[in-house]
Amino acid sequence: MLHYLLTLAIFFAFFAVEAWGLNLQFGLTGILDFTYITFVAIGAYFAGVAAMTPSTNGGMGGSYIFGWQLPFPLSPVIGGIAAAMLGVVVGIIGLRRLRSDYLAIVTVSVGQIVWMVIGNATPLFNGWDGIVGVPQPYNSVMNLSTNNYEWPFLGISVIVAAIIFWLVRSLTESPYGRILRAIREDENVAAALGKNVFRYRMSAFVIGAFIAGISGALQIEYIGAWNPSGWTTLETFIVWAAMLVGGRGNNRGMLLGAFLVPVLFTEATRWITIPAHPLLMEAIRGMAIGLLMVLAVRFRPQGVIPERKRVFPLTTIPGLKEDVANGHTAQG
Amino acid sequence: MAIPLRDNMLVVKDLRKSFGGVKAVDGVSFDVPRGTITGLIGPNGAGKSTVVNSLSGFHGVDGGSVMFDGTDITNWPSHKVAQRGLIRTFQLARELRSLTVFENMLLASNDQPGQTSWQALFLRKKIRDSERDLLGKAVDLLKRFNLFHVRDEYAGNLSGGQKKLLDLARALMADPRLMLLDEPMAGVNPTLAGQLQEHIRDLKDEKGITFLLIEHNLRIVESLCNHVVVMAEGTILAEGNMSALRENENVVRAYLGG
Repeated sequence: MLHYLLTLAIFFAFFAVEAWGLNLQFGLTGILDFTYITFVAIGAYFAGVAAMTPSTNGGMGGSYIFGWQLPFPLSPVIGGIAAAMLGVVVGIIGLRRLRSDYLAIVTVSVGQIVWMVIGNATPLFNGWDGIVGVPQPYNSVMNLSTNNYEWPFLGISVIVAAIIFWLVRSLTESPYGRILRAIREDENVAAALGKNVFRYRMSAFVIGAFIAGISGALQIEYIGAWNPSGWTTLETFIVWAAMLVGGRGNNRGMLLGAFLVPVLFTEATRWITIPAHPLLMEAIRGMAIGLLMVLAVRFRPQGVIPERKRVFPLTTIPGLKEDVANGHTAQG
Repeated sequence: MAIPLRDNMLVVKDLRKSFGGVKAVDGVSFDVPRGTITGLIGPNGAGKSTVVNSLSGFHGVDGGSVMFDGTDITNWPSHKVAQRGLIRTFQLARELRSLTVFENMLLASNDQPGQTSWQALFLRKKIRDSERDLLGKAVDLLKRFNLFHVRDEYAGNLSGGQKKLLDLARALMADPRLMLLDEPMAGVNPTLAGQLQEHIRDLKDEKGITFLLIEHNLRIVESLCNHVVVMAEGTILAEGNMSALRENENVVRAYLGG
């Protein structure tokens, strides 16, 4: 049981990081990214092959690129950068157009292209079979069994999640984040006030992709394997559901959403099986995710924890302290 | 590349813009003298909005040039035009709904630290300090426009009139040298319209801001503008002060409905 709870806690960290990245893209900036999981996958693949030993081409491990045997903090960074670079490419294609619906179509297409290419171009990441045997961070020196390794890996995940939380929080609560929210509301107004809308959308999209890649990197270094059946459209919409339920625009809401949807709703129900129809439960889960999104958008579009209202205490404004003391704040 | 002309804030020369086969603006030239409120009038479809969008960089032009305070800004993107000090407003109030009034104001400032992602991460103290100064500036403007009591309200919850005032106040946070007001009085009750006129006149006198005002109400134009440009069918019909234009036969026929 403890082993199981630890696993759930580790997955919670993965999904929280995923949700923060998507929240930066959609929750803050309003960019419709319907292939978010592709950035997670690219991060996973590149981190994986950066950490693995060189491919023996056709041997037991299959064939793949790189094989650089990089240690832990470096391999996820490689994964994050690779995902960010894909973000740049998608952004150049899709973000020049100011309207977001064009990008949504571009993301779906790019996701499909990347999926097919990775599946069919076996020399890249061993095709449909995927890569296996990705080393767990530092376990070559710690030599822990799978069960005992969960504690140190939980530690690693929490540290990474904390860094990402600091990152998204700093971005959100800054003039930069304010500009992103303004672009979400009305990009023409933002442009008329001197903001380079394309550059901001691009940077939010790419940073979001980087965060997705970091989450993917963590996942592959925990699971040790990755193949195309693990990242399909359904995985994208699980993150979307987490974001919408948690409360788009709110980084704390992402924590809640990541707990409620992927952890509680998806992972913790894995033990429910219908023996006569082994695939049925998975299908029901997919339908339930779709239903959850519809219900969230229909009945509580702001999510469980809505975006925080920023209030500026007048005491922090120079020259206003007297007004406050004399009670002259009600009218201007 | 300052070109010494008579002191004009804006010089538009032979501006052309077509949409498909329609020549929306067909060789338009006019000046906006510094420190004036210049009116731009004309019947619907005259091309006024196309001129506004061309000047403010919201779409490119097919020909002609735009000089703003000695700089050629022809075909500049909108954000660069705005950063230069030419700020436009829109016909309908465009408040950023889920930002508070204060946030709407702070957003408009372009010289604050923390506007890029790197600064947001690593200049947190500097951001706090500059934010405090900007809040002071915002407070002054909000008091001036009687919006101070709704400062922490979401802009989407303001009344229609308050949104119009916020539009103007927000634009002022960007320290404009030239303001392009696209029908600021449209759909506004007479009392508020009177207030807006007062504000515009005061801003010109106190802060020396130059205005290009698009307006359909000729009484307002007459009382505010010393210089008026009349457009019709994509061209300039006449220029001058309002009383002279009332005598102009072409203008009367095209617009004044005499």
